[in-house]
Amino acid sequence: MNLAVRDIKYGLGRFLLTSVGVGLLLTIVLSMSGIYRGLVTEALVLIRGVKADLWVVQRDTRGPFAEPSRLPEDVRYRIAIVPGVVEASPFVLYTIQRERQGKALRMAVVGYDLATGAGGPTRVVAGRGLGQKRFEMVADEKLGLALGESIQLGLHEYAVVGFTRGMVGSGGDPVAFFSLADAQEIQFVKDNWAVRNARERARAAYERSLPTQPTLPQTLARQFADNPDLHQVNAILVRLDPLADPAQVAAAIERWGHFTVFTSAQEADLMLMGNVDRARRQLGLFRGLLVIIATVIIALIVYTMTLDKLKAIALLKLIGAPNRTVVGLILQQSLALGLIAYAIAVTLGELTFDKWPRLVLVETQDRLLLLAVVIVVCALASVLGVRRALRVEAGAALTG
Amino acid sequence: MNGSEAVSVDNLSKVYGRGHTAVTALRGARLAVNPGELVAVLGPSGSGKTTLLTAIAGIVEPSSGRVVISGTVLYDDGWRVPDLRRFRREHLGFIFQSHNLVSFLTALENVVLALDINGVRGAHAAAIAQELLDYLDVGERAHHLPEQLSGGEQQRVAIARALANGPAVILADEPTAALDTERGKSVMALFRRVAREKGSAVLCVTHDHRMTEGFDRVFHVKDGQVSSAVDARSHALAAPQLR
Repeated sequence: MNLAVRDIKYGLGRFLLTSVGVGLLLTIVLSMSGIYRGLVTEALVLIRGVKADLWVVQRDTRGPFAEPSRLPEDVRYRIAIVPGVVEASPFVLYTIQRERQGKALRMAVVGYDLATGAGGPTRVVAGRGLGQKRFEMVADEKLGLALGESIQLGLHEYAVVGFTRGMVGSGGDPVAFFSLADAQEIQFVKDNWAVRNARERARAAYERSLPTQPTLPQTLARQFADNPDLHQVNAILVRLDPLADPAQVAAAIERWGHFTVFTSAQEADLMLMGNVDRARRQLGLFRGLLVIIATVIIALIVYTMTLDKLKAIALLKLIGAPNRTVVGLILQQSLALGLIAYAIAVTLGELTFDKWPRLVLVETQDRLLLLAVVIVVCALASVLGVRRALRVEAGAALTG
Repeated sequence: MNGSEAVSVDNLSKVYGRGHTAVTALRGARLAVNPGELVAVLGPSGSGKTTLLTAIAGIVEPSSGRVVISGTVLYDDGWRVPDLRRFRREHLGFIFQSHNLVSFLTALENVVLALDINGVRGAHAAAIAQELLDYLDVGERAHHLPEQLSGGEQQRVAIARALANGPAVILADEPTAALDTERGKSVMALFRRVAREKGSAVLCVTHDHRMTEGFDRVFHVKDGQVSSAVDARSHALAAPQLR
């Protein structure tokens, strides 16, 4: 006879309500794993998607993801002729925030060379890829834009022609892909108010330094204020000949003295060691604390459930039940509580994690790990109740 | 004492505490109960009757003396049977004033529980339990929880549970105290029936003089000592003075 099941059936409502409470707690524990995995995935999704063999960035920077890097676009031509290099493509990456329909619209802008396609969207799930060099964009679904919709960015409007799925920048902002020229223009070209302001500031500066040449300030101010250097990129993506040695090619480029070169693996490590590592430790701390809290809560619940049954336990002992019957009753209830709560957590996660603001990526191994943790936690949590139950004297059944 | 008794208690003593705080609950108590016999143990509060019952039940370990249940030694001057719980489930049945049914089990399951603990399981256990409940006229309440049963019905279920493993001895602690006179008499009639038909000795601790008429013999406990058994009928005549 399974006493645990019968006791649970007797107080089913209370037991289920308790399980839901513990289940919600376990949902948070599970989400911590998912958020961490989501952070890593989001941090690496662009690096993995680009599939460059080498990343050439500004000297002594850890760009373009971990910190800003800027280098002239035409460097690509010098790099392209290094032995072993098959293709060198410019790559632009930055984050912008605009307002749309009264809400903040944050996006990671990626500009890439349409001719090589390197750094562009790997898979378009709706619509099409960029078909012309100007005024089109491929946006991630999470931006919430409509296909065919145009949005104003800087001086121009850009039409959404396609969607990607799950493409985010290292900060978790959905990516919008543009042609290189558009991305550079959105970043550097000023709008009309800014242009007028810049002209005034430049004119004032030149007037102070060149009082004897009255027409020069206007001329120079116009030139500098109106024509910023657009041809800046954040990295050059290099694809190598399969037979080339990446280390040798990297050394050849770094010998020029203006650039630092990373492999994709090194770029990934830079990301994981920087931003992600701190978040990982924070999430790990939260997860550990939550597991401890869950253990304490389950222990208290099991202990209270045991207190409710002390009379029955004394009776069991009096009529000769061995300790394993008493221990089994408590341990099975503890495990039942944990397993039902676990099932609630997994189900709730399946139903809601994709609606959370940031990517929550729960894999089978996370679920199995949580299951193992729950079993261990429930076994530990039942110790308190078991100790109390074993201390009950059979004679206690005789007292009214 | 001839060795064929269901219960044999010889020179049983129990002292609680030590030194100045020591309290002697039993002083050389002796009694013997035969199989199929229904006996009462009477005594005022604090006389030691519950200590006597719990010592026979293997709940309280006596300080000295000997207890033998159905030919098996339970205690013998400091020695005790190694597995008390096994001893209890194989030799003893218990009935209490407060019925003490497991609240989350039905009447049938409460009886099956005693069988299950003793290794009788499944349909066989359920059949035995149902038979016992029918025997005690609560068969049709088999699937009700204790809270859905009256006090008398609960007591019958408790008796069925006590009988489940065919114990040599049934120990009852104030079994009629929570019942009115009619129900109390009904329970006593059941005890008589169980003792006669099942052959179990029923040892009943009570201070309920209303019920003493139904017992075969009555033992008195006073200051930890058990007086010789008296015939229940003569006790019933003397009962008013004892109150």
